[in-house]
Amino acid sequence: MLQTAFNGVVTGVIMALPALAVTLLFGVLKFPNFAVGAMMTVAAYLAFALNAQLGWPLAAATVAAAVAMGALCIGIDQLTFRPLRERGAITLMVASLGLGFILENVARFAYGNTARSFAIELARPFRFADVRMNHEQMITIAVSSAAMIAMWVLLTRLPMGRAMRAVADNPSLALVRGIESPRVIRWTWFLAGVLLALGGVLIGMDRALEPPMGSNYLISVFGAAILGGLGSPLGAFVGALVIGVVSELSTLVIAPNYRIGIPLLAIAVILVFRPQGLFGQPYIRR
Amino acid sequence: MNRERRKVIRSIGAAGAATLGAPYLNLAHAQATPIPIGVALPLTGNAGAYGPDMAEAAKRTAEKINSAGGILGGRKLELYIEDSESSAAVAANLSHKFINVHKAQSLLGYWGTPEGMSSRPIAVQNKVVLMVSSAANAITEGDTQGYVWRFQMKATDWGTVISRATLKLGFRSVGVMGLQNAFVLPIQKVFEEQMKANGRKVVDSLIYNPEQPSYRAEVERVFGKKPDAVYCFGLLPDFVSIMKEVYRGGFESKVVALSIMADAEGKFVQAVGNKVAEGIRHFQPMPDVAAPGYKKFLKLMGAPADRVFLFPPNTHDQIAITALAMEKAKSPMAVDWSKQIVAVGNGPGQEVDDVVEALKLVRAGKPVNFQGAGSTCDFTPNGDQLGRGMGQWVIRNGKSEFVEYAKP
Amino acid sequence: MISFLILIGIVICFSAILALALNFQWGLGGMVNFGLTGFYALGAYSSALLMLKAGANTFVAALGAMAIVAAVCGLVAFVTLRVTEEDYFAIVTLGVGEMLRLVALNEDWLTKGALGLTGVPRPFGAAIPPQYYQYFLLALAMTLLLATLWFLGRLARSPFGRLVRAVREDDVVAATLGKNVLWVRVRIFAIGGAIIGLAGSLHGFYYQYIDPTQFSNIVIAYAFMAVIAGGRGAHRGAILGAAIVMLLLEGSRFLKDVIPALDSDRLAAIRVIMIGAGLILLLIYRPQGFFREYRLRADFK
Repeated sequence: MLQTAFNGVVTGVIMALPALAVTLLFGVLKFPNFAVGAMMTVAAYLAFALNAQLGWPLAAATVAAAVAMGALCIGIDQLTFRPLRERGAITLMVASLGLGFILENVARFAYGNTARSFAIELARPFRFADVRMNHEQMITIAVSSAAMIAMWVLLTRLPMGRAMRAVADNPSLALVRGIESPRVIRWTWFLAGVLLALGGVLIGMDRALEPPMGSNYLISVFGAAILGGLGSPLGAFVGALVIGVVSELSTLVIAPNYRIGIPLLAIAVILVFRPQGLFGQPYIRR
Repeated sequence: MNRERRKVIRSIGAAGAATLGAPYLNLAHAQATPIPIGVALPLTGNAGAYGPDMAEAAKRTAEKINSAGGILGGRKLELYIEDSESSAAVAANLSHKFINVHKAQSLLGYWGTPEGMSSRPIAVQNKVVLMVSSAANAITEGDTQGYVWRFQMKATDWGTVISRATLKLGFRSVGVMGLQNAFVLPIQKVFEEQMKANGRKVVDSLIYNPEQPSYRAEVERVFGKKPDAVYCFGLLPDFVSIMKEVYRGGFESKVVALSIMADAEGKFVQAVGNKVAEGIRHFQPMPDVAAPGYKKFLKLMGAPADRVFLFPPNTHDQIAITALAMEKAKSPMAVDWSKQIVAVGNGPGQEVDDVVEALKLVRAGKPVNFQGAGSTCDFTPNGDQLGRGMGQWVIRNGKSEFVEYAKP
Repeated sequence: MISFLILIGIVICFSAILALALNFQWGLGGMVNFGLTGFYALGAYSSALLMLKAGANTFVAALGAMAIVAAVCGLVAFVTLRVTEEDYFAIVTLGVGEMLRLVALNEDWLTKGALGLTGVPRPFGAAIPPQYYQYFLLALAMTLLLATLWFLGRLARSPFGRLVRAVREDDVVAATLGKNVLWVRVRIFAIGGAIIGLAGSLHGFYYQYIDPTQFSNIVIAYAFMAVIAGGRGAHRGAILGAAIVMLLLEGSRFLKDVIPALDSDRLAAIRVIMIGAGLILLLIYRPQGFFREYRLRADFK
């Protein structure tokens, strides 16, 4: 059981990064973005191109892909979401759905449907306190935690982070204080792109690279973000861990092929008992 | 009517006209009317990896027949090759298109179970022949009125052959993992039954879904019980994930799978690397590579002598049998030649494995027993194929080594 | 050729009915249904199972499917909207849709799982000879489509329709006027669900074989595209939108015959990219679609 819990932790930290991206985007842009899965896919394939096809070490490929994805996200926002900014959350959601289809099929167009893998050595396990782990999982946990800490520092200490929180809270008031939404929005997208790229690479390492790889995680990621409270980065991290661990542990009692139901159950429970999530603030629609 | 609406209606009219007119644009051939044949293969979707080679085999076979003068007095075979997108609905629409637009009397290819299942009622209702390359038993069950023909080994037979091989390998305990998929389930059921009947322990058996974020829990459950061997039945993408988990978890059970997962024209080893793939055993119905018919097929495809094609020989055989049956019945209509399929495939008659040679004999009124590239093309009255065998391979150092060829 | 067009016509009809359902739920009611595919599968499976397992005739089965989907939709709306904002609603519908598909795939004691349900009966299947059946099915599909259109049109013009629009435009105002907003929304979603059930039943009658692979994510993209192209809220527009989308899809198959250079693998990806891009472009540049929603005119006398 300890093993299963540990597996859950690994699954959880992989989900934490896209969950964080979702929560950031929701906080600043005020709508759930359904294209995040496909964005992870595209970023992972970018890293694949650099790593497996051009021979770069995976770490370098990931960094490059993260920067590229961040820039790409800004571009996508300019083209797709900016013209729709005033239309309301529902229109933006539908647009993000369409965007998700486009991105996933661009990856399919470029690389076909066959499952691919990064050019890295697979890890063998070692035992630690009766639990099997391997160094790939250690790296995953380390990267994810580092990203979390970096985000936390950014949001609480750095001016841009505070600006993001201000815009998330009340854009017009923020403007009065000289914080311009467009700039904040660009930075938010850039950060989201970086996080999604990291998440995509971790997924690619964990499972395999194929066009639906990111969208498979969509429900779990949203579940994590909602559980933690949309708009709260700490919540996203905690939510992801909880969903990861509970999903894995659930296989001890229910059939494993239904464990996608866990994030749904989490959403349902949260919405009934505590709609703002574990760490979110009660959302007042203005 | 305002301007906007007029514009819209005009553009719809144009699109509609294009849709209506397009097929007529393609009729450039003015010779003796060609014989249309519809070929539906998965070029995209879950099974997208298998379609292209099957399409190529079909094309080359038709070309071979056409350059030798075609059939029925010089008529050439005209193939309409379309992507079934690994989808039942698309395959059904394609079947309608082949029958109604292209007037085909022969529908070939149909690699997957859903495609075959959805097109079967269409073929039977329209009295055209459907030739599938899928394993699920249900496709030939019931009354097909002689219009449905299977160019593959039946699913339950796969389970039988694999079980027998397992008994020979001496595994005392096994675990089973299957993909939630129409052709896996009958194989898995038969396999488990046979294991239990022969006193082997099935430590765990589970089904998993495609497109799951992770298979860690499944691997943990089945491999964690430490059986001698774990049998995985599924497709390539999930198998890649599962094997990576197995390797990372340091599990020691032997792994047995199907070749469409563990080989897939080399893509599996490419995706996971030699270390992960080492020692995996895989099975697949295959042509008898020692047979002269298969060797001729290799030449037709321009492939090296050690290449093992799992599915493309089936499309070659489908085209060949269609041509032969049409020639024997002296008619391109399925109501007539569907009755000749067993005659040209089973004989009695002269055994011949080259379709052009066989056509000459049929034209001369001599009975033939066609031996195809994928099998001996012997059929049961309800459309199943006899005489197919399965190959067994083991992966060593990134290469699949052939072990043996066995029949049910 | 005519046969083929008739069959495409049938497909357009039930796709249009599905688009009408989405148009009602989203265009008119403002409730995004990202689980459309799952509910559609629920409708198709319910209808088929009622016939195959419970021996119902096609008429009863279709009604049964409509009732089942309406009930499930209503329940989802009730549970979700009582406690939360609309933003979450889309996510919940996505999740429910996924769960429905998972159940269809896994519970093979009920749905035969991946193998699918074969031999789904069709209305008057035994009575009408096969070569004429497609004409009958087309007539039936068109009749049902027109009936749905008429029904929704009446609904839009009725007091309930005004209520629906009021709730969509500003639910706070509607609530202050004493209208039970939640109950209105539940009814909207349930009515839409019934129409989805009807479309699902027709799907089963046409293909006579139902398996999980028929209900993939693309269905949602087509439905949204159809509704947006047609103009949200405009019923006739939704039908036209569905026709355009289906013609484009089936028409692009003929493209391959004319331009053999296009690789099928890539063509399929391109098609979806076009649908997604079309969706976004329409939202940006022509959100009102090509038809206008029925607008009440206030007469000033």
